[in-house]
Amino acid sequence: MDPVAATSPILLSKEQLIQILSETPPGFIKPTDPPPLTIPPFKKLGVLVELDDILDAKDAPAKGSGNRTKEQTYSCAQCRRMLPTAHLLDLHITETHDFYFAASVDRGDKPMYSCFLEECSTKFHTARQRKDHCITVHKFPANYRFDQGKDKAKEKRPSKSQTNSMEVDEVVVPAAANKAFPFIKAFSFGHQTHRTFYTKAKEQRCGETLEDVQSMKDAINDILD
Amino acid sequence: MSSEPAPLPENSALRSKIRVYAREQRQECRIQAKDSLRLGLGQIKKEVATLEDLGIKDVLGLASRIKRRKHATSEDLYRLALAFLQGNENINAFAAIPGAIQVLVKELSGPHIQRQIDAVECLCNLSLGEAHVSEKIATLAGSYMVTYLDGKEERLKHSCLWTLANILATCNKAAQTLLQMQLVSKLWKLYTTPASEPSGCQEDAGICLFMVATHALEHVNVEERKYLTQHLHEKRLGDPASEYFMYIVHQLEVVRPDHGLGVQQAEGLVNFFGASLLCQDLSSFSDKLSLFYGVRVLGNLAAMGDATLLGVLANPEHFVSVLNRLFALREAQLSKDLMRLLRNFLELNICDSNLVLDRLEIYA
Repeated sequence: MDPVAATSPILLSKEQLIQILSETPPGFIKPTDPPPLTIPPFKKLGVLVELDDILDAKDAPAKGSGNRTKEQTYSCAQCRRMLPTAHLLDLHITETHDFYFAASVDRGDKPMYSCFLEECSTKFHTARQRKDHCITVHKFPANYRFDQGKDKAKEKRPSKSQTNSMEVDEVVVPAAANKAFPFIKAFSFGHQTHRTFYTKAKEQRCGETLEDVQSMKDAINDILD
Repeated sequence: MSSEPAPLPENSALRSKIRVYAREQRQECRIQAKDSLRLGLGQIKKEVATLEDLGIKDVLGLASRIKRRKHATSEDLYRLALAFLQGNENINAFAAIPGAIQVLVKELSGPHIQRQIDAVECLCNLSLGEAHVSEKIATLAGSYMVTYLDGKEERLKHSCLWTLANILATCNKAAQTLLQMQLVSKLWKLYTTPASEPSGCQEDAGICLFMVATHALEHVNVEERKYLTQHLHEKRLGDPASEYFMYIVHQLEVVRPDHGLGVQQAEGLVNFFGASLLCQDLSSFSDKLSLFYGVRVLGNLAAMGDATLLGVLANPEHFVSVLNRLFALREAQLSKDLMRLLRNFLELNICDSNLVLDRLEIYA
């Protein structure tokens, strides 16, 4: 329709209308079809940061800033780890503190590791597979900070408190743990320490996790078999 | 001797409460005012007369300083952000330094909220640069910015959305990287947050989706388009940034036979269109955008071949009255799309076509 015709006050007759309709193709209008409007160019904008805000944040006591961080993040009630989203916290709790999850992973019959992206429904057998998926499919960096897999690597290394515990002498000790048998400090700085039973050992109850995972595995096997 | 009575403890408690409320109110107002403190590249030199002039030398100095130290301080990040606002040469100088953007990413992904905000505001100004800078930001910091969209901190979310919008508008390759992080679904969730909730990110999320629909259409995958189809009805006309709704729906080809569009979603579209029809005066671009693309969406809805999807518009009388009203606007391109809508409607064989054609009033 040309602009002159668009301003004329004459109504189209039925025949004219049928003619126009026959020239109009039916079906979907595609996004690549000529746009009905000219879209104005987007103006990119930055943000003007105020120095006052920076100074306020600097002057604010460290405690207040810590509280703010706690309020604005999701923290694990068990290990106090702070994560930015509910989904990442969910993954952390499941993968780090859930015996059922650990037993299911050991069983290996179905993929248990969810993607870091909540919207992606793909699941994986190992944390490594998930990491590869996130790098290749979602273009995540290889050192993604909220990767839960890192904790696993840390857990493999025996901590000082674990190596000091009395239970290491008790029953089955893995070969890796034997290699890292406690280094006993034989020196003191004027305050000689008497070697005695480690009272916190009872509270720590090393090996319980493994037993629980094992029992959980057995229970799952009982249910499924 | 002073005869002034000592203040009652209740009064002082009340005063201190009022002081606390006033402080909170000031803080809130400042945050709101901050939203308006947005400037284009180089605009700051005209707007702020007492500005510290920062050049390439300063940027290089700041970059080597933040690389050397364990953490970039807030002042360093502030000065860098200011330098980026002043000119593209500063942005290019910073982007060319190996490991400089990584320092910003380290602060962005760190455990302190304030540093995260400082870093993302710095990245926002950095994103005013050219395509190669946007590409670097998307690769190195994209995953964190996308992650923080699900977080609690509002200022951080706003700054992430501003940065993402700049990147999406600048570089197609960077946009592709971001869209592989399921960005569209995340943006849609923010976009459809009810207006009653205090998030306030709907507008910025809407702009990001608008950018995707305009510049990076080809990179939106089928799953994300299906997600949009399933959640179409969650956006309401009165919500912020609803003027972009029909444009996004049309451009992302949400109304397609293979996307599983149900009656509920179709009804939502028809109702949205009907409501927007009531308040049209076509004086503003946003009104035109909503109406023109609404007609295209309805045309595609009719092309689906299922009359039940048209809802109230399946009634020929109502359909004709809507069409007459829109043809009366006498907008050339709109009339073409209305003809397509009419053609698709007649193909549905809901009623005798003569019944419709006889009642139509279309000016030549």
